[in-house]
This record gives sequence, structure tokens and C-alpha cells, in this order.
Amino acid sequence: MYYQKTEKLLDSAENNIKKIFFQVFPDLDESQFNWTKKQNEYENWDSFSHLHLITMIEENFKITITDDDAINLHSAKDLLDFVERNR
Amino acid sequence: MNKIIDYFRRNVENYPDKNAIIFGGQSITYRKLGELVDSFSENLINLKKGSTISIFHENSIDFVISYLGILNSGMITHLIPINLSKEKIQEQLEIANSKFVITSNSLLDRMENIKSGCKIITFQELDIQDCELSSSYDVEDDVAYLIFTSGTTGKPKGASVTQSNTIFTTENIINILNYNNADVNVLPLPLTHSFGLGCLHSSLFVGSTLILLENATNTKKILEHIKNYNATTLASVPLTLTKILKEHENCSDYLQDLRLVITNSTSIPKKTVMCYRDILKTGILATYYGLTEASRSTFMIFAKPGKETSVGKPPEGIVIKIENKVLDERKVGEILIKGKNVIKNYWNNSEADKNIVDGWLRTGDLGHKDAEGYLYLDGRMDYVINIVGEKVVPEEVEEVVRVLIDVEDVVAVGTKNEMYGEIIKMFVKKSPNSKITKSDILSHCIKNLESFKVPREIEFVDDFPRNEFGKIERYRLSEKNE
Repeated sequence: MYYQKTEKLLDSAENNIKKIFFQVFPDLDESQFNWTKKQNEYENWDSFSHLHLITMIEENFKITITDDDAINLHSAKDLLDFVERNR
Repeated sequence: MNKIIDYFRRNVENYPDKNAIIFGGQSITYRKLGELVDSFSENLINLKKGSTISIFHENSIDFVISYLGILNSGMITHLIPINLSKEKIQEQLEIANSKFVITSNSLLDRMENIKSGCKIITFQELDIQDCELSSSYDVEDDVAYLIFTSGTTGKPKGASVTQSNTIFTTENIINILNYNNADVNVLPLPLTHSFGLGCLHSSLFVGSTLILLENATNTKKILEHIKNYNATTLASVPLTLTKILKEHENCSDYLQDLRLVITNSTSIPKKTVMCYRDILKTGILATYYGLTEASRSTFMIFAKPGKETSVGKPPEGIVIKIENKVLDERKVGEILIKGKNVIKNYWNNSEADKNIVDGWLRTGDLGHKDAEGYLYLDGRMDYVINIVGEKVVPEEVEEVVRVLIDVEDVVAVGTKNEMYGEIIKMFVKKSPNSKITKSDILSHCIKNLESFKVPREIEFVDDFPRNEFGKIERYRLSEKNE
């Protein structure tokens, strides 16, 4: 499982965000993940999954993401950039 | 026989030398209890029939004497939970229009500075004959006792439970759960609550022996009482039953010979049902659904696997219907109850009386039935969370998280959100020494819940706000977030 494999990796923001992605989308295959791939290109990235991503990132990085900020985060890279700017 | 006291008197005659109550190492026979009840009643001889007398007293033999003595005199008993705040005691006394409070020496200081116009006396110094007594209530003779329920807004409502309500309910309990004079019943529940009081009635009605405990905090003590007195039944809330399983690996040694474990309907975990079914050799685990206003409206006996989350069916004389827009009782809707167990009205509360129309009590509880008519509870109407039109019953979310071994208990509430209307906030009480993180819980929710039911926020808490019965006050958690 990807979850176990990633635990061995360094605890970087990049790895953590990727880990969160696979927690929120447990059916996602690794080949389907791409940092720049947009929300509407993911089959299951609906508004609720978006909330889960935001919540998990807030908990993991101890940051707050407002609704206004959350609306503008459309890809894994957007999430990573936001975390890097605000942690 | 049409009064509670008549059933007791019958057993004073039938079993005079049998122990009626055992409490704190002391025992009292039916004959002695009958004598003390009569003496107590003589103190009330000058009071007008139908007057209200309050009891603010711990579980004890004195409590039982006071309760039966008041009923014996044709008075109405107002039962006050001992963990009530001073303000709430005062509020209840004012609404009840009580003239006397009977209390204990240890609780006397809790009554200080209460301005309700009623006289406060301890059981030990009881001498009511000297008091100037008057009463002008226009009440039906039939009311036996008053128990106040907090309601969802926190405003107390007095449920006026009649003699006939009580006799109907007690006979149902006895017949369905087979209480008999050979029973020895362990009761660690407050007698000020409908559950505990119903167990007292059942025990006295059949002439069995009641092993009364102060409370349920010490589970070891409960088990020891079961063993030492060769008990046949145990009545306890689901939380205590689950605690016994968690705290005592050898609990089956104490419990296995019980013929009955009775609990009530506040979300008994499926695992607990299954464990007790395994532990009890030939005995049964049973539960019921009821309110103070409609005591024991259903009964459920968990005799065989299946339907572990049901609260059962109503007995004869009680009808339950589910009211919803789709006119299908198998879909979730409000539970309405009609029957001889339902109170006629609340105590001086015309607003609350609107909940009882043509004998039908609107419970505010949500439920549904299965194809065989078994009732299942789905939470409270007031707490349904509406997330962009998707309705979420908090209990469903809580149940998923509660199975985690690191979680002791959990409460989900809706909080307002500009985008979603409402979102779910979850309050979690961790098990002792638990290292579980919020991410662990969220991840578990994502795997096990539909997307819109996953909480948006999690907060760890030491405990939840609770009412005098230990019931979690959800509305206070909701208010916190408004």
C-alpha cells in the first residue's frame, strides 16, 4: 500500500501532502497523481473531498485555511505552495 | 388495586419477613418498611391531599420510605436529582409549588439560600405536624410523581406521571421481563430517574429484594454486590455495561448467572450487546425505549443474533407511529407514542402540553421501523445537520468514530457555514493514554463515511457538558459554536 511506503520517506511537506491525497482518495492509483493536475481532472475531487483535503492539511501542518483561500486551491501544487507560504 | 402503594401493601402481607431493600450493609424487611412508611405518613396527616412534597435525597432506604410515605398519604412526590445545580433546584421547586423538601444531612448545605418558599427538612428531623400547612393546587388525584425533564432548550418541564401510568408501565416491565418474587435485583441507578424508579416499582410489586447502590461509579462494587447477594438481575445504563466489560477482564465470572441485564436506549453499542449475549449463560440482555413522559414504550430482548441496534416493539396498549413526509415508517421520521403509559399533561405548562395531541406524544426523537415493526432510533430532530441539503443524523457519524479503541466517546454537532449551510464539528473524548491524532480520526472517517458526513473540524475534550442524569447536553456544544 502506498500509505506504508510513504511512511518510510522523509517527513517533508511534499511527502505529507501526497500522503494526504492518498488518504482522501484511497482508490487513487499512483500513476493518476500529478502535482499540476487540476481538481476537475480528478474523478472524485468534489466539494466534499476538497473540504477533507483542506481539513487534513490544516491538522497536519497546524495552519488555518479560510474558505476564501480554499476556493483558490485547485491542484496538489496549489496546496503545497499554500503550505510553504503559511507554515 | 389502583394505587402504587396497594401493590406494596400486598407484599407487606405476603412476605413480611423478606428483605425488601438492602443498602450499604443495612437491610429492611417488607413488614418493617411498611411500618416506617405508615409512621412517615402520619407526619403528613395535616397536609391537603394532592400537595406536592419534594425529595432531594441520595439513594437510600430513607429515600424509599419518604417516597412511599408521600404516596401513602395521597400526596404528589417531586423527585429532584442530587447533582442538580442550586439554580435548577430552585427553578424546579418554584414550578412544582412544593411546600416541603425532604433531604439528607449530607445534602442540607446544598439547599442553603434557596428561596422558594418551601420548608427544608432532613429525614432525621422529620416533624411535619408542627408546620402550618396549606395547599390550594387544583390537581388530579391521580398524579403520583413529578420528574422534570430538561428538554432541548434546557428549560425544565415537569412530567406529571399518574398512578395509572405507573401501574400500567410496571405491569408491562414485570410481564415482559418476568420479574418475580425470587428475584434479587441489583440497582446502581438514581431513584430520581424514571429508569431507576421503574426498577424500584417492579421489585416492590412482585415482592422481590432490591440491592440498592448509591450510584454506578464503582463498577467493581456492582460486580461484588451481584456475587455476594446471588443477584438475578442487574439494571444499568449502557455506559456502565460497557465500562464493566472494559475494566474487568473477569467480569463474566460475576455476570454469567444473571437471568436478566436490563439497560435503556441511549445508544447501546452493538459490541456490548454481543458481549453480554455471550457472557450470560441462560440469561438475557434487554433494553427499552422510553421517556419520562412515556415510560417503557418499547421492549427489546436480545435473545438471538440480529437487530442489535433496535429498541424493540411496543407492548400491548401502546402504539408507536413514525411521522415523515414520505408516509413510510421504514424511513426516518419523528416518533409519536400513544398509550396508557403516556402522561395526560405536563405540570402547569400549557406550552409543553402542545406536544400531546389526542393522546399522541410528540417525542422529538427520530426513528424508523423495519419490515417486522421493530423500532430503531435515529437521533433527535433538533440535532439533524443539514449540509447543502444533505441531512446527517449525528449519531451515525459518532457510531463510526466510537468504534476506534482510542476513543472513549464522541459527539458530532452542526456548525453554521457560509458555503455549506452547516458543516460537522466533532468533539472527541480520548481513551486514557490514547495517542490518537485528529488526522487519524479524519482518515478513518474518510474511509468509512459518505463524503458529506466527514467532519470538517475535530476538537479533543476532557468531557462533555452533561445534565443531572449524566446525559450529554448536545445543545450546549452547538451553542458553543454559534
